[in-house]
Amino acid sequence: MMDQPANSSPSNTGAPPEVSPAAAWLDTGSDHALREMHAYMRLTREWDLRYEKMFKTGALSKWYSSVGNEAATVAAASAIEKGDALVSLHRDAGAILRHYVNIETLIPEIFPSNMNLIRQPLGGDSRERLFRLACQMLGRQHGYSAGHERSYHYNHMEPEHGLIHIGMISHLGSMIPVAAGAALSFQQQKSDRVAINFIGEGATSTGDFHEGLNIASVWKLPFILIIENNHWAFSTPTSQQYACDNLASRAIGYGMAGVEVDGNDPIAMHQVMQEAVQRARSGEGPTLVEAHVGRHRGHSEGDDSLDQVPGDELRGYLENDPMDLIETRMVNSGIVSRAWLEEIREKCAALIMEVVDEAMSMPEPEPNSDRSIHAE
Amino acid sequence: MPNEMTIEENVLYIEALSHALRDEMRHDPSVMLMGQDIAGHGGAFKITKGFLDEFGPQRVRNTPIAESGTIGIATGAAILGQRPVIEMQFADFISCGFNQLVNVAAKMYWRTECSVPLVIRMPGGGGMGAGAFHSQNVESWFLHSPGLKVVAPAFSDDAYRLLRSAIKDPNPVIYFEHKFLYRRERTDLKGTEIGDRVVGEANVRRSGQHLTSISWGWMTHRVLEAAEIMAAEGIEIEVIDLPVLSPLDLDPILQSIEKTEHVAITHEATRTCGFGAELAARISDEAIWNLDGPVRRITYPDSPSPFNKKLEADRIPSVDVICDGWRQALQS
Ligand SMILES: Cc1ncc(C[n+]2csc(CCOP(=O)(O)OP(=O)(O)O)c2C)c(N)n1
Ligand SMILES: [Mg+2]
Repeated sequence: MMDQPANSSPSNTGAPPEVSPAAAWLDTGSDHALREMHAYMRLTREWDLRYEKMFKTGALSKWYSSVGNEAATVAAASAIEKGDALVSLHRDAGAILRHYVNIETLIPEIFPSNMNLIRQPLGGDSRERLFRLACQMLGRQHGYSAGHERSYHYNHMEPEHGLIHIGMISHLGSMIPVAAGAALSFQQQKSDRVAINFIGEGATSTGDFHEGLNIASVWKLPFILIIENNHWAFSTPTSQQYACDNLASRAIGYGMAGVEVDGNDPIAMHQVMQEAVQRARSGEGPTLVEAHVGRHRGHSEGDDSLDQVPGDELRGYLENDPMDLIETRMVNSGIVSRAWLEEIREKCAALIMEVVDEAMSMPEPEPNSDRSIHAE
Repeated sequence: MPNEMTIEENVLYIEALSHALRDEMRHDPSVMLMGQDIAGHGGAFKITKGFLDEFGPQRVRNTPIAESGTIGIATGAAILGQRPVIEMQFADFISCGFNQLVNVAAKMYWRTECSVPLVIRMPGGGGMGAGAFHSQNVESWFLHSPGLKVVAPAFSDDAYRLLRSAIKDPNPVIYFEHKFLYRRERTDLKGTEIGDRVVGEANVRRSGQHLTSISWGWMTHRVLEAAEIMAAEGIEIEVIDLPVLSPLDLDPILQSIEKTEHVAITHEATRTCGFGAELAARISDEAIWNLDGPVRRITYPDSPSPFNKKLEADRIPSVDVICDGWRQALQS
């Protein structure tokens, strides 16, 4: 992309948002694509609702909700494969569950037998991963950080299954260069694997956003940065965060591809991601994806930051809940019935309930001060 | 690949660094270099001159001026199997990459059990009238950050050996190389064994029974000069050099103090919360009953580095100042 200015390809925009061509998908097995997206979005939604409830009852001290981000994150992770690196943030439960879990092994009836999958799930034990993830959320010994790190602040690697997941540190923006570094390792190894990373629109104001993207583009790293633009950062609206029309157009300044997409539409999102992944795999460098999503919850559960969102704006987000949109779309195209959707919702909720309850019953770590700060 | 080792007499400190990098790159294909102007130009100090031709642009990468981005990218690559060595153009500029270093790289292993085999080379220190932003000794910033190892060799042989060990080490290592020593210090490289990690080292470079001196980097050379002068006065100083500051090898220090009952720490870094303060605290904890006087610190004052060489020299512990400090320590 370096010698082509960023506006030379249809997927590069500095200009107004492109409406992504979802129609192609609808013609070619859209019902399968929708079913696959829906399954993971529903699992993610039930995952979050469970913890939100636990927060309300005091069983959990802190929770950042992924509600509203499911379409963007599930679709993004649907475009990566075994051996690719996922670098996630605080609203990316959808990407993590999509990457970790083979939902068919947990809810066998969720897909019809002739289903063409968009992406092959990773091998390995999905139930165990889900369970350990729940332990991680609850600070249990069996969590991925054995209780030492909070919620999504952990790494999980299963080299034998090509699972590479690098979690966040709190400092926003910091993971952008690190994720680009994962992409650098693929480039050094001359492999065609890619790294994807998420960031909120607020953290696009950090220096690491600039430094990370600039180096990634100069070195043509196989890297995709997805901005989940929910138009609010804690209590700060975009008007106080940046003065440009859209964030995707910043890609022009870095000489890389940039795309703006409706993050509530998993099919459009997946298409954009597939193109970006293809670009990265073929050595054409990084892509900046700006996915617009809604602000459905406050900054973190229990704060009053949602009060800052004007009523009309909030109503707009709630009316465009990606979960409702995909379910309506599926029912209207005659793919499934409302009753079936309800059945699946119950199954996902029951599965999450079971796993989280099991995690709750697991031991907390024993007090220790000897966790090593150095690798041996 | 063979673990070749440069064996040469009378090697300049700066050449020892080049040799170590080249030998380790020949030995391990996952070693890669990143830094500003290090490729064609060979770096501000020419330590990587010729590396681009030998190892190619993929392993010898010029970076944009982006310390945070570079350290972050190196950290990500290190997690997934590369062994990046970053050259800070000057140690002072590490402040622009501070967060990546102390929060991402340093804490990574403790948080995630993913190791980060990363070396950051830090051309640091003063004595050349380079002003407030090209002279600093910032080791304390990193000694206060659990998860990092900190190296500060004074001699060419240690510089060679420890740079290779640092690259093999599975942890982030901050490697302070002193600019004043680059073209002044010479030692033989004898082909001593290269460790596969950095461990604490406290080396007795001169023995004596009257006072234990602790120092590292350039100051060890001044301390050795000062010890000559004191010897002429009949006072024998035991000179302990710390080529590795973290992990700290405290035992040789405590053993020496048991013998000398007096101790002084000399460092070029500023005084308050300098590593001397920590050493003084450790010595008090472990050996106060063996001491026959207070722990003395001979340091730079709490001041930025002035540009004028006379003003700067007035602040860096001189041989005379060191001798005076020792005399005071022995009087008390
Ligand atoms: C460097 C840094 N500064 C401040 C914070 C505190 N903080 C946590 S989340 C947040 C808002 C993030 O907004 P955005 O990036 O838009 O993500 P969102 O939560 O909206 O998904 C802030 C200010 C932080 N975590 N890191
Ligand atoms: Mg936001």
